[in-house]
Amino acid sequence: MAYETQGFKIDNSGKRVVVDPVCRIEGHMRVEVNLDSHNVITNAVSTGTMWRGLEVILKGRDPRDAWAFTERICGVCTGTHALTSVRAVEDALGIQIPENANTIRNIMQLNLQVHDHLVHFYHLHALDWVDVVSALAADPKKTSTLAQSISDWPMSSPGYFRDVQNRLKKFVESGQLGPFTNGYWGNPAYKLPPEANLMAVTHYLEALDFQKEIVKVHTIFGGKNPHPNWLVGGVPCAINLDQVGAVGAINMERLNLVKSIIDRTQEFVEKVYLPDIIAIGGFYKDWLYGGGLSGKSFMSYGDVPQKANDYTAPNLLLPRGVVINGDLGRIHEIDLRDPEQVQEFVTHSWYKYPDEARGLHPWDGVTEPDFALGANTKGTRTRIEQLDEGAKYSWIKSPRWRGNAVEVGPLSRMVLGYLQPKQYPEIRDMVERALHQLDAPVGALFSTLGRTAARAIEALYAANLQQTQFDKLIANLKAGDSSTANIDKWEPSTWPSEAKGVGFTEAPRGALGHWIRIKDTRIDNYQCVVPTTWNGSPRDPKGQIGAFEASLMNTPVAKADQPLEILRTIHSFDPCLACSTH
Amino acid sequence: MSIETFYEVMRRQGISRRSFMKFCSLTAASLGLGPAFAPRIAHAMETKPRTPVIWLHGLECTCCSESFIRSAHPLAKDVVLSMLSLDYDDTLMAAAGFQAEAIIEDIKKKYKGNYILAVEGNPPLNEDGMFCIHGGRPFVEILRETAADAKAIISWGACASWGCVQAAKPNPTRATPVHKVITDKPIIKVPGCPPIAEVMTGVVTYMLTFDRIPELDRQGRPKMFYGQRIHDKCYRRPHFDGGQFVEHWDDEGARRGYCLYKMGCKGPTTYNACSTTRWNGGVSFPIQSGHGCIGCSEEGFWDKGGFYNRVTDIKAFGVESNADRLGGGVAAVAGAAVAAHAAVSALSRARSNNDKNPGGN
Amino acid sequence: MAVQVEVSGAAQTAAGRTVFVYEAPVRLWHWINALAISVLAVTGYLIASPLPSQPGEASDNFLMGYIRFAHFAAAYVFAIGFVARAYWALVGNHHARELFVPRLADREWWAGMRQELLWYAFIARQPRKYQGHNPLANLMMFLMVTLGSVFMIVTGFALYGEGGQAGHWANVLFTTWVLPLFGQSQDVHTWHHLGAWMMVVFVIVHVYAAIREDIMSRQTMIGAIINGERTFRS
Ligand code: HEM
Ligand code: HEM
Ligand code: NFV
Ligand code: SF4
Ligand code: SF4
Ligand code: F3S
Ligand SMILES: [Mg+2]
Repeated sequence: MAYETQGFKIDNSGKRVVVDPVCRIEGHMRVEVNLDSHNVITNAVSTGTMWRGLEVILKGRDPRDAWAFTERICGVCTGTHALTSVRAVEDALGIQIPENANTIRNIMQLNLQVHDHLVHFYHLHALDWVDVVSALAADPKKTSTLAQSISDWPMSSPGYFRDVQNRLKKFVESGQLGPFTNGYWGNPAYKLPPEANLMAVTHYLEALDFQKEIVKVHTIFGGKNPHPNWLVGGVPCAINLDQVGAVGAINMERLNLVKSIIDRTQEFVEKVYLPDIIAIGGFYKDWLYGGGLSGKSFMSYGDVPQKANDYTAPNLLLPRGVVINGDLGRIHEIDLRDPEQVQEFVTHSWYKYPDEARGLHPWDGVTEPDFALGANTKGTRTRIEQLDEGAKYSWIKSPRWRGNAVEVGPLSRMVLGYLQPKQYPEIRDMVERALHQLDAPVGALFSTLGRTAARAIEALYAANLQQTQFDKLIANLKAGDSSTANIDKWEPSTWPSEAKGVGFTEAPRGALGHWIRIKDTRIDNYQCVVPTTWNGSPRDPKGQIGAFEASLMNTPVAKADQPLEILRTIHSFDPCLACSTH
Repeated sequence: MSIETFYEVMRRQGISRRSFMKFCSLTAASLGLGPAFAPRIAHAMETKPRTPVIWLHGLECTCCSESFIRSAHPLAKDVVLSMLSLDYDDTLMAAAGFQAEAIIEDIKKKYKGNYILAVEGNPPLNEDGMFCIHGGRPFVEILRETAADAKAIISWGACASWGCVQAAKPNPTRATPVHKVITDKPIIKVPGCPPIAEVMTGVVTYMLTFDRIPELDRQGRPKMFYGQRIHDKCYRRPHFDGGQFVEHWDDEGARRGYCLYKMGCKGPTTYNACSTTRWNGGVSFPIQSGHGCIGCSEEGFWDKGGFYNRVTDIKAFGVESNADRLGGGVAAVAGAAVAAHAAVSALSRARSNNDKNPGGN
Repeated sequence: MAVQVEVSGAAQTAAGRTVFVYEAPVRLWHWINALAISVLAVTGYLIASPLPSQPGEASDNFLMGYIRFAHFAAAYVFAIGFVARAYWALVGNHHARELFVPRLADREWWAGMRQELLWYAFIARQPRKYQGHNPLANLMMFLMVTLGSVFMIVTGFALYGEGGQAGHWANVLFTTWVLPLFGQSQDVHTWHHLGAWMMVVFVIVHVYAAIREDIMSRQTMIGAIINGERTFRS
């Protein structure tokens, strides 16, 4: 089978390579590719291999509880589904939240962005670029020189790197390599010198220690992380600055703790994460594969409302809009209520629709599982050797915007920000600075590495926004407003007998929307269309491929039995499969 | 968890010292290390190895892993580098595909009966298990195979322990907790959604340090962390006893840290360490940050009615109602029936008196 | 134990005759039990749906504590009373046993049950006379009072043992097995709460039936539970 779609030539005639499980991601995923005689990918098939049925489970429940259920869609992007959910319910019921609640939610959401991005890079992605074993051969002195040349982060003495190296040596010598067992060490696609590898491995460990600090902001406002608590109508934490009993609420000590974490987070991103990306990126500048849909069709719903209750584009500190077919000069507006815009298809997904040639808007969405394999599947129903992508082949649905497959995520957001410098001058500056440091053209953004770099840039943007949102919280408190919840419509008796709403956020991995229908105070239909649903989607009725599949196309693989390049590009999206299928 | 050294295992299988040394130099070479490393690897393999851990993921959300890496004491880094050998964990491991699957086979062989299986999430049983596919096969098969040679199993979180959110009504995938699938191994349940990081590492380090399984309660949870309710150690308890409650969100009581009982707090029925150990290095826990406990470490906590109701739902006899609505309703009906019956009784009595004295007087 | 068959028209229930039915311990227990259940129902309700918040410092207040204390104190009275009443069933007169042993195997008893139902449905014009409980009352008493009390005591002490913690007698005796039996603590609360309503329903019906029978049937009721004597009318 060979055909053309979205500028890619799909041809599944060559040798088939299967990667299952794809590790270092959230959840369960499978990738199959065809390689031509030069080991270049000519066909890519990405499959979500899990389904839990949250949309089915939510039916008939109290809409005020939905945040807790949807939050458990994912513990990695913890909180973003909860926030999306309370926004959807508030939209349906017409609930206005207090200014402080909006700001605290923003801080929590931005905190998630930074945390998730940092953990993704160091713990889920870095090993695609960094050869751990090679770090053993590094000269700690030279590593120190390298580290100090790119950042004034204090933890950079030769002795420090030597200690880490010794610990690593002892670890490797034990013969028990733990999570590093069977890695692709020594593969020619690894390009870093030993010194850079040692620096990166050191920061892998440092970031592991530090990430647990970042999330304490969630713990303060939401009581725990993962899975902090949220509330329809505001936030559950009350503020009490002056009165008796302040120790039982958000008070000056709590605010100081938040502030100190925000400061340290900003510093870590500025002095460790971003410099590492630039340094590592410098060695892979020529590896420009993996662009996929990124320069062509991409989308962001926007997030971080500056003023409470205004979700229109001008009020959002993360950009909103869609670009289609590479027309970067034209940013389309998004209307999530328009039945013609966001639609989900299931022609290639393991679900049933009454009419599968047509997509459904999420308010009318249907989730009915239907596991069946195509006639050309190799293996059996419970022992799949090779999937038949001509039939249904994934638990992920195929969302489309006006029929187009789009990429979502940090790269889409940063590019949409870059394209609108008036509204987002900081994004423009940061992207330009990074490109300048890498000595790379704007076009280089549309690649695997560009996606990874955009995420780091966004981490800094989010860390900075966390600061300004915190300042805003303080200013509002200073002005005498300490309210955190609006309970006017808390009681179901105040609700209309029927209502529908939509809530959206920019999750770490991209545009996230929840659509809810409420009937007689209970959930009548609940549909989530999730970032990894967009990126990881299987084909649609027109044969259009999703962002994962597109990104793998035309990539040469150094060793067919070591899927390093496949992992590298797929990981650059930070796939979350629990999210994608929910 | 006493473990044979790798060398002992090889000797037991009849492998000579010579081929053992050869194996070590091959290992060194395959890792890209010089031949100088071979004796050191040999030495390590002759000494007691770190306990291997296979960490499998079923239907879940990975927040148990996320929680685990938040551990402050011990640091997750130290657990992974120095205490155990996390040889398989889809979320963190470098390998993928068949290289990843090979590790499970390897550990099963080398450390038969001596590795710990940690399970996050659970297997779905509907659709032949294909709601969770791993290497083209149902996850439940991988779970069974890996459990077969494990020494003990840790069920992480509410998913593995009870089923959690995917098992909430109507449980479309028939997500099934680990102990209902694996019945012939000691299983340590560490529930919570997710469990507290330091509780997770606490359970693991206990097993490694004292070389035994912690004391478990009847439901298989370590008593040391799950022996008391949130309510027993809640710092808002004086407000509960004093009758001081948050009446609605962000009211005076909320700002003063009153008891969240009327906001549906499930602390009185939830066994977990949150009110003592607290979360994220002791920074806070749900109640301290103003929201009631939702009972996330308890079996079936998703299906007990709304999180904001104190009196929870009854699902027996096919009715879904809370105890007050159902009981109060029955009482009201009884009251009405009694009143009606009394009225009819009075009437019929009057009539029968008339019968006895026809014509009156 | 000689089984006395009590049918209407028998010599013992002839009009104007008075028989001694309820011994002092039964009567004493009845009224103590009635009081305990009333306290338990009211305090139980207030445990589940507490009164509006109290002003002032937590340390100056103990309202919820007192309510719970009253519940637990009444619970002990209720439970000890129940055990004492069970003991009296063994040593007291045969009426003292009726509460614990409904005569399910006795055809005559079921025939009496039918008659009572017809009487309550206003179909039968005359009720039968009984020295002790009529079969319908007997069955209801057994189900609601005997089994109901056991249920409330078992679930109640299981919850009580939770507060007492591991090692507390109620924890050892009840909590350890009752919690897993019901699923979890919250389920035990819910069923205990439901049981409370069942008790309330029983009391409503019981008090009504007692007064009604006193007036409409041909035997005294209220007097019987006060001074122990039952007088038959024509
Ligand atoms: C919480 C409230 C009450 C409970 C749980 C209760 C329970 C009982 C029980 C278990 C008996 C059977 C005694 C035995 O056979 O050992 C009984 C008998 C009786 N009770 Fe009550 N009682 C309550 C309140 C009352 C009240 C308020 C009255 C008065 C109007 C009353 C009048 C009677 C009478 C007349 C009998 C004797 C019935 C007969 O001879 O069949 N009870 N009660
Ligand atoms: C007729 C008998 C009883 C009635 C009507 C009654 C009623 C109630 C009610 C309505 C509740 C609230 C349940 C909830 O929604 O959480 C309750 C709680 C409770 N009851 Fe009872 N109860 C009775 C007997 C007992 C007994 C015999 C005990 C034994 C000690 C007991 C101990 C408790 C305990 C420990 C609680 C929970 C208190 C708390 O959570 O703070 N109850 N009871
Ligand atoms: N895809 C996805 Fe998420 C994110 N970010 C959520 O909406 O990761 Ni679990
Ligand atoms: S128990 Fe809760 S936290 Fe853990 S994986 Fe399951 S849903 Fe996530
Ligand atoms: S807040 Fe919850 S756990 Fe704490 S005392 Fe009140 S009811 Fe108990
Ligand atoms: S909701 Fe869970 S985190 Fe603790 S306080 Fe309750 S058990
Ligand atoms: Mg969906």
